[in-house]
Amino acid sequence: MLSLQHISKYFQVGGNKNIILNDLSLDIDEGEFISIMGPSGSGKSTLLNIIGMLDEPSDGYHYFEGHAVHQLKEKQRSALYKQYIGFVFQAYHLIDELTVYENIETPLIYQDFKSAERKAMVADMLDRFNIVGKKDLFPAQLSGGQQQLVGIARALIAKPKLLLADEPTGNLNSKQGEEIMELFRKLNKEDGVTIIQVTHSEKNAEYGSRIIDLLDGKIDSSRKL
Amino acid sequence: MIKNYFKTAWRNIWKNKVFSAINIFGLAVGMAACIVITLFVYYEKSFDNLHTKNIYRLNEVQKFEGMGASQKVALSMFPMGPTLKTDFPEIKNFTRVRWQQKFPLNNGLKRVYMPQVFFVDSVFLKMFDFKLLRGDRATALLKPRSVLLTEDAAKRMFGNDDPIGKTVTNYGQDTITYSVTGILANVPKNSQLQFDCLFSFSSIYKKWMFTNWGGNWLNTYLELAPGTNIAALEKKFPAYLQKYKGKDGPKNYELFLLSLKDVHANSADIGLDYINYQKFDKHITNLFTVIGIIVLVIACINFINLSTARSSERAKEVGVRKSIGAGRFQLAMQFLGETVLLSLIALAFACIFVSLAIPFINSLSQRDISLPLHDNNMLIGVVLISTVLVGIISGIYPALFLSSFQPIKVLKGALATAGGNKVPLRNILVVGQFTSAVILMIATVLVIRQLKFMQKKDPGFNRDQIVNVPLGLIPQNKYDLFKQELLSNSIIQGVTASQDILGSHLDQTGISFKLGDSPLRQLTSTLLVVDNNYLDLYKIKLLMGKNFSTDTSAVWKQYIINEALAKELLKDHKGKNMESLLGQRFGFDSLGVITGIAKDFNFNSLHYKIETLFLVNGKGFNQMSVKINGGRAKDAVAFIQSTWQKEFPGIPFEYQFLDDHFKEVYSVDNQVSTVVSILAGLIIIISCLGLFGLASYSAEKRIKEIGVRKVLGASVQNIVMLLSGHFVKLVLIANVIAWPIAFYAMSKWLQDFAYRIDISWWVFGIAGFTSLVIAFATVSFQAIKAAVANPVKSLRSE
Repeated sequence: MLSLQHISKYFQVGGNKNIILNDLSLDIDEGEFISIMGPSGSGKSTLLNIIGMLDEPSDGYHYFEGHAVHQLKEKQRSALYKQYIGFVFQAYHLIDELTVYENIETPLIYQDFKSAERKAMVADMLDRFNIVGKKDLFPAQLSGGQQQLVGIARALIAKPKLLLADEPTGNLNSKQGEEIMELFRKLNKEDGVTIIQVTHSEKNAEYGSRIIDLLDGKIDSSRKL
Repeated sequence: MIKNYFKTAWRNIWKNKVFSAINIFGLAVGMAACIVITLFVYYEKSFDNLHTKNIYRLNEVQKFEGMGASQKVALSMFPMGPTLKTDFPEIKNFTRVRWQQKFPLNNGLKRVYMPQVFFVDSVFLKMFDFKLLRGDRATALLKPRSVLLTEDAAKRMFGNDDPIGKTVTNYGQDTITYSVTGILANVPKNSQLQFDCLFSFSSIYKKWMFTNWGGNWLNTYLELAPGTNIAALEKKFPAYLQKYKGKDGPKNYELFLLSLKDVHANSADIGLDYINYQKFDKHITNLFTVIGIIVLVIACINFINLSTARSSERAKEVGVRKSIGAGRFQLAMQFLGETVLLSLIALAFACIFVSLAIPFINSLSQRDISLPLHDNNMLIGVVLISTVLVGIISGIYPALFLSSFQPIKVLKGALATAGGNKVPLRNILVVGQFTSAVILMIATVLVIRQLKFMQKKDPGFNRDQIVNVPLGLIPQNKYDLFKQELLSNSIIQGVTASQDILGSHLDQTGISFKLGDSPLRQLTSTLLVVDNNYLDLYKIKLLMGKNFSTDTSAVWKQYIINEALAKELLKDHKGKNMESLLGQRFGFDSLGVITGIAKDFNFNSLHYKIETLFLVNGKGFNQMSVKINGGRAKDAVAFIQSTWQKEFPGIPFEYQFLDDHFKEVYSVDNQVSTVVSILAGLIIIISCLGLFGLASYSAEKRIKEIGVRKVLGASVQNIVMLLSGHFVKLVLIANVIAWPIAFYAMSKWLQDFAYRIDISWWVFGIAGFTSLVIAFATVSFQAIKAAVANPVKSLRSE
């Protein structure tokens, strides 16, 4: 599905090169559920952001679904991103001014779905996540777990093939965290969504099919489960 | 999608009430000022747009011997119209207009004084498109002794009777009976020509008029063939003048044409412009427009500043939206939607402000301006489109700025560019706002000082407690009787009369002078025909010679000249002193002599220098001046009125305190100063609102820093200085920029006054000090709030 080859990311700080990713290569197949682990500063989030096209590598080649991402223009990249990728954040990042319903609907608006279609798709999603009763509430009125549920619903609404999650359970208690992980597993198994998550928790990592350990911007180990 | 934009926009506006209120209020005030000025300008531009023909007014430049400078006048001569038409084929028609005020007309025994009537040539209605309700445009003025009445005039004259075919009589020098040949619609207020009746000019023709190439006592309007080259036509006028007036013609006169549409706003420098109703200099209109736009721009600047200042709050939203697929364009559209919505809300408030302001504006400008809600779609369209444009213009920078954020950066909270005081644009904009505020503050102070100066300056005569009574058609012998009657009461301290009121434009006339054996000199000077006690009553100082004698045989023989004229007369006689002029031959005929020389006094408004003037003890006065006992002013006026009614039953009594007349003389100056000070006030308020907003956000953003500083031992004073210092610095810079601009602009404005104040530096100091105090007060309110807050709270919240 995607292939990173000799990816590097560094910042120039004064005279020093601050290397975050160092000549990293990685291939991911469709249907995988990958957990990226590693100590703070090992480059997990940067890697995820590069995979998600929110960030660009300094060097290297990036292929996604047969497209050479490193050669694409901003607009084409954005179109690719919209079509294939959904993002889930540790801090949920819902839009405070929008209701649950509207938050979930927004990606569809950006993808120019018709109003009737949007309605149907959002209703479907609300149903599936069991949050129909909360659709008119604002994020501030929800618990953390519920907010993350909405965040995932929003990430999935446009039917992405790849779901990226940056410590999705980091702000949740363990019970809520488990629920989210169960949901991820279900999405991966039943709907065939490829999932890449960054996590600190070994337990959560084990929900996946492969664990990649990063150290100092390089892949330290890759274990299939 | 649009709906979605507006929904989020609305919620954002609602969520940030203070921010929104500042923006909406500021914008609404700015828009209201702009709308009011637009309405005013629109009304001004609507003057005389009723007429469709290619009409020009004939004007003269008079440059006679003895006049200080040449003078443009709206007047022309009786024979000019017909001769111009025969000599120049491009002139298709002409009409002369002679006006009379308070013109008495009788319908049987019923007498009505018409405020203003015109005597016009028969093609008047062919040239001008004044609406004729009844009668025939082509023939109504053809016959001598025809009259057209406006609806109102007809109603006053005949009540509900049908006036057509009826007659009205004017008992004047001649008794003339006119028959009513038509009814005109009332003249719209936005017409330079205002009249109640039109008489056929042929009714009052006298033989002398046809050869009167010297008397300028009417206005001439010419209809030109379409496409006539005005400059080329004007070039032929000197030869024309030479043909009819001899070689002195082009020496003493120049003729020039002014398009009818330009007469209202473009004839500020033309004098003796008597039937140019509400004449208003377009430069002043332009000035209002410019300041109005500045007010609006300053309100927009608030918007830009506040939006970018609080961009960190929106940054997260931008990041999230981008991470779920929003393009930059879509985000920019969203932010623009917000500003457009905001400006539409502001427009609603602006309309309320405007409707509240209109009665005041109308009383200030003496116009009938209204907020058109249904009858003027174009203006409504312009306002709506401008509102959307204002929204877009003030939103475009914040929109581009906000939509440019990198999602991963803002989501991680690293937004270095969005905060703090580093952004130079915001500083530049604040400096711009306060620069305008300071300039206008200085302008206001100087304008008001100049007006005060003109009111206070000793004009060389005393105008306290003088009541002016227009005499109209009261004959001379009746005046003498009336004067005696008034003087019998001790409440009246003096009575005198003249042909005109001081402060108005006085007439000029040709006059001859002879010093000893030197040749007779013809020259032109301003004249004032006065009663023999005029100088005493007005306390005008006589430098040398004698005052007018009370002997009636001396009438029209004694002349008192002012210093300016004395200097002019001595121009060709080097070495002679002023005394040598006394007793010399001067005046209209060979019997007149100079009996005295008066100290210069400002017989005109202080816009003008003192020109040459002579006073002559004559007869036939238009204006009576009554000096009254100041303590009993009411009784005095009542006494004058009752005496008038006893002496002249049926003739309406009018009076005006001379002070009020001078207020009228300076009314345009007063209007300008009022408008400028209001706009200056608005600019200051809006700028401070913006500063208030910026200060509150800057205090909010630095709340943790303030907490830390307080824990480390900073005093409230330290914190206030920390937060306010930056803004105070900006205001200081604004002052430095504003001063030279204000100095330049105000020196230019003051050029229009012959007598003007010096621009003193303390005015700049005061404006600077005031702006600093206001700015500091605005900012420190927020700063003190932040400084006295408990630091534990702010630190814990992080």
